[in-house]
Amino acid sequence: MAISDATYKEEYKRYWLVLVGLLLLTALTLIQPTMFMENATFAVQMLIGVVKAWLILMYYMHLKGEKEIIMFTYFSMFIVLTFFVIVIGIDVANFQYGDLSHIISGDEAAAASQTHGAAHAEPAHH
Amino acid sequence: MSHEYVPEIAVDREGKEHKVQGWQDDIYGAKLGFWLFMFTEVLMFGAMFMALTYYYTLHHDDFLIASSSLNRVLGGTNTVILLFSALTMGLGLLKMKHGDVKGAKLMIWATIVLATAFLVIKGFEWSAEYHHGVFLGLDALQAGNADSKPFGQILFFGMYFTMTGIHGFHILIGIGIMLWLLKRINAGKVSPEHYILHFNIALYWDLVHLIWVFVFPYYYMIGAGLTGGAH
Amino acid sequence: MSKTYFDETHCAIGHPKSTFMQWMLTIDHKRIGIMYAVVMFTFFFIAVATAFLMRLELYAPGAQFIDGDTFNQAFTLHGVIMIFLFIVPGIPAIFGNIVMPLMIGAKDVSFPRLNWFTFWLYILGCIIAVASLWVGNGFADTGWTFYAPYSLNTGTNVIFTLVAAFILGMASILTGLNFLVTIHRLRAPGMTFFKMPLFVWGIYSTAWIQLLATPVVGITLVLAIMEKYFGIGIFDPAKGGDPVLFEHLFWIYSHPAVYLMILPAFGIMSEIIPAFSRREIFGYRTIALSSASIAGIGYLVWGHHLYTSGMADIAKVVFSFLTFFVAVPTGIKFYDWMATLYKGKIILATPMLWALGTVITFAIGGLSGVTIAMVGVDIHLQDTYYTIAHFHYAMLGGVVFLLFAGMHYWFPLVTGKMYNEAKAKIAFYIIFVGFNVLWFPMFIAGYLGMPRRYFDYLPEFQIYHQFSFWGAVIFITGLVFMFYILIQAWRKGEAVGVNPWNATTLEWHMPTSPPPLENHTKVPYVDFNPYEYHHGQPVVKFDENMKRID
Repeated sequence: MAISDATYKEEYKRYWLVLVGLLLLTALTLIQPTMFMENATFAVQMLIGVVKAWLILMYYMHLKGEKEIIMFTYFSMFIVLTFFVIVIGIDVANFQYGDLSHIISGDEAAAASQTHGAAHAEPAHH
Repeated sequence: MSHEYVPEIAVDREGKEHKVQGWQDDIYGAKLGFWLFMFTEVLMFGAMFMALTYYYTLHHDDFLIASSSLNRVLGGTNTVILLFSALTMGLGLLKMKHGDVKGAKLMIWATIVLATAFLVIKGFEWSAEYHHGVFLGLDALQAGNADSKPFGQILFFGMYFTMTGIHGFHILIGIGIMLWLLKRINAGKVSPEHYILHFNIALYWDLVHLIWVFVFPYYYMIGAGLTGGAH
Repeated sequence: MSKTYFDETHCAIGHPKSTFMQWMLTIDHKRIGIMYAVVMFTFFFIAVATAFLMRLELYAPGAQFIDGDTFNQAFTLHGVIMIFLFIVPGIPAIFGNIVMPLMIGAKDVSFPRLNWFTFWLYILGCIIAVASLWVGNGFADTGWTFYAPYSLNTGTNVIFTLVAAFILGMASILTGLNFLVTIHRLRAPGMTFFKMPLFVWGIYSTAWIQLLATPVVGITLVLAIMEKYFGIGIFDPAKGGDPVLFEHLFWIYSHPAVYLMILPAFGIMSEIIPAFSRREIFGYRTIALSSASIAGIGYLVWGHHLYTSGMADIAKVVFSFLTFFVAVPTGIKFYDWMATLYKGKIILATPMLWALGTVITFAIGGLSGVTIAMVGVDIHLQDTYYTIAHFHYAMLGGVVFLLFAGMHYWFPLVTGKMYNEAKAKIAFYIIFVGFNVLWFPMFIAGYLGMPRRYFDYLPEFQIYHQFSFWGAVIFITGLVFMFYILIQAWRKGEAVGVNPWNATTLEWHMPTSPPPLENHTKVPYVDFNPYEYHHGQPVVKFDENMKRID
């Protein structure tokens, strides 16, 4: 037996508390698109997801008590992924071949070339 | 697995003794190794989310339309099932640490049952979609025929089936691993004194749950505002 | 006579009596490293033969022995074997396994049974990759990069290669994981990170890349399989998918992969230079940190493979800047090595010859990379022979040459024997000359416009192909000669003691030559730096019971 009765009781309560928290957040997820902040649904949903993930990582996966290295690993991963998101985001936002592209429909092409500005309205012909 | 492993002692120049960490009986090493492995799983799903986000930016409206057609009742039920299964898995580990091996095994069985329920419900979801003509290989998701959906919706459903499929595959593996864990417990290899395997498997299950925490809103909820509710 | 690791071993399952089963089931990191070497070099020579076939065909314009489709399969086979079966497992699989645990005073890696499983996973990947030669429409003809949409539409066996690459990727991830935990957990007491030998730093940085980059290509290959067989649409323009997304996802791994190849090689360089200059390495800390920063910055530069793929101009500029930036830590290493050589007592033994040769060839390889990091220049040189010359100078003239250097350096450690020094030197010179005659003309041909992966070409390029062909003949002759010398030495060479080079790092302080199964008799307390020399002699000395006697 690795843990005492007192620790067991404390941890047991914590598991259920976190579950209640996660259930509440899930309820929030389900009602949000029709109840509040409907025009920012994606951002709110992802935010709720991040909060849930944090609870799970810290308490269910005991990350709170682990040495720094594990924490460092996960945060460096977020930095790496963020960079990928940022750089690909820069690439996508500045896409300059919208009117030549088969996979972007009419309005999306217009939106893409608008972001890029008038200077590249005429794509180069090879 | 040698539980009789005796660690070596290294002596420095002042005569002070230092324990040498061997590869046997390295609990923190086992934990570290498993966290690193889970990291790779996060990267795999992360890359898929990245691809999905790229197409979301290209086809915003079509993604919302496709998302609104998914079954939120079944999806939401699955979310709650998986949530409770994470609880049961965690309680199982807690009971094992506390010496209640029988209670631990009961909790593992509860997790297996909930995981199976998840897969069954997913099966219903997929077969309903198949009967609506929306499935990989069917006309709606092919290009250039009368029933073809617009690009954004084809891409949404393509990634939907891929990601929920790979996620479901991980749940299946999880069930298999839990059955194997029960065998190891019965063989006495996992016990209240040596439970690192149980710990790592509980971590795996939490990871599977963690992925669903993002899969569910991304696929099911972004278009929920369109039709105003389930299905 | 005391037992070495060839006489006894630990097995994953049971206690087999036959020598064959003991090798098949061994979990000993030293034996696993040797098995990797045997398999990898077999495939290396198959890929070299494939390349020679291509050089033969390209000797003159027009078709001589093979047709265009077969040629496409040939360069795909060459690339897939060289990259996925040889150079990515590469130095970590061989010397990471054999030498790294010895250098940190460990008895094995953290997960020896996982190590055994990983080796057989690698074998499975090899078998699946090569099996497609005899199935259906033969080997894939897409190039080792499998670009969509061609890879989705071609009738050749892309699926085999994709599955094989996925499995080999898993093996790479598990090796990296094993090494990361080993280096974090099993270092000898007192050995902090900044007392580790630089080869261990190289393996450590590499392990992070193996762990962080490979999953991305793993899932990309899975998505490509899903696209080809279930039509999910992700890379198929007919369904709105973007083939350039495949390129991004592919190169997000494949660029860090080249740092995964070179970092252990630089680690070997950092071991050989101090040992054969008989002095402490210059700038230990900066070399160690530069390995880590190459690993880190290397993640951010993948876009330089996509300059001509329709990326936004601003993204190209970002990637170009970062690519120049990643050359800086490599430059730091080179300057540190040169500073170590300066006023050292240089011993031109074969490992040192290889190391110095690599300084020349990798400098050319690296600098030619910097030229094509410039966006404007790359628009002209992308997919020409210039690029091919660049990466062969870097991978072959950098990674593989240092692998050969490591082979000559650690040969006495692994086998307990020594090779014929004079012959080994001759082999080096033949290979070095052949290498440069083979690859240097390609810089010029590429600059003048010779495209890569082309089966036929305009007559004005023929002279360069002819030079390359004869260079290939010399190069391959040298390779065969070198392996012959080493194999002969293993079979009949003279036995040699535990530390023939009089080096300082822990792997040279074994009780027997070759080492025993459990490595060091006693793990020492490490309160010394890895390269302490005084007037050309090692400062730290141990007796047979690993007690300090200095």
